[in-house]
Amino acid sequence: MLVLAIDTATPQVAVALGDDGRVRGEIRLVGRRRHAEQLAPAIAYLCEQTRVRLEQLAAVAVGIGPGLFTGLRVGVTTAKVMAQTLRIPVVAVPSPDLVAYPLRHAGRLIAVVLDARRREVFHARYRPVPGGVQRVSDYAVGPAADLVAELEAGAEEVLLAGDGVEPNRSQFASLDRAEEAGPEFEVPSATALVELATGRIEREEFTSSWSVQPMYLRASDAELAWGQRR
Amino acid sequence: MNDLALLTRSPTETRGVGRALAAVVRPGDVLVVAGDLGAGKTTFVQGLAEGLGVPDGIVSPTFTLAREYEGRVRLVHVDLYRLDRAQELLDLGLEDLADDAVLAVEWGDVAVAYLAPEHLEVRLAAGPDADALEHRTLALAPRGRSWVARQDALAAVVGAG
Repeated sequence: MLVLAIDTATPQVAVALGDDGRVRGEIRLVGRRRHAEQLAPAIAYLCEQTRVRLEQLAAVAVGIGPGLFTGLRVGVTTAKVMAQTLRIPVVAVPSPDLVAYPLRHAGRLIAVVLDARRREVFHARYRPVPGGVQRVSDYAVGPAADLVAELEAGAEEVLLAGDGVEPNRSQFASLDRAEEAGPEFEVPSATALVELATGRIEREEFTSSWSVQPMYLRASDAELAWGQRR
Repeated sequence: MNDLALLTRSPTETRGVGRALAAVVRPGDVLVVAGDLGAGKTTFVQGLAEGLGVPDGIVSPTFTLAREYEGRVRLVHVDLYRLDRAQELLDLGLEDLADDAVLAVEWGDVAVAYLAPEHLEVRLAAGPDADALEHRTLALAPRGRSWVARQDALAAVVGAG
């Protein structure tokens, strides 16, 4: 069973091809937020090199954020279009889960912190459980200071992961029981997405490709505050 | 946090304030440019562009929504006049477009909840003398730590007390 996994919630473009839960190939392009230019060629190269035709895919898995608006639009739209044209299901997984899952052996609380720009972070907390991680907070957006205050109140050992840690390092420094997971855990892992999606496909936990939406967290359906001004 | 109030007597002077401000802006900054139609928002941004070393003139982005200009620092000039919903603003992808640029947003005050909490608000209004048609009052309001820290520099470049 072949699964294509896509995550574009951060400046990274990540794609992986999984076969019964094992990764056959993964491409990570880091840093320059060129999602629109890089995603489709990355998928094409990955399929070509793993000798997989798109028609063979059983499902497409996508990280739905929260994350960078433009990146999410590209990734989620690509996943939806592929699912609809290939008539295969979509598995939608929040992107912070894809940062936490590779840390499932950490043996302590994991705080995933993704850079939300505008001097805010997206964050969620997880605990390792047998075979994975379990989320123990809501997905949230806000100043890093708010998360720091919550973690301080919890007063337990915590591992900080995600690209929102480094820009806010001075604030996290006040936590004396926190440790940074390091650069290899800065962005969502497409390999983790393959593994998580495979379990969900086996349990038939699909999302309709028509209803898959990026998780923005910031309210976006509001009207702008024009009042009587136009 | 004190607002700076300025009086300009012509579009040329309004432009001059924009040009002067270029000396204190940095990549990643957001300027919320507020004021009614004809208040001089685009004129102000034209001055800013000159000060940033944008070689050619800039035009109002009312219909194109956003325009980018290469200068000493890249300038992204946005006009929200034709937008109704926050979703449309987010669709512009300003967070990506303007990450390392100066972002000047005309009518930005209608969407301030969706822009960086740290920004400089530049509010233009006619007057105070209703007979002096070219006179404008400019209120510069620093929002957030990074702008408050630059308040003195700001006052110095625009020549306010």
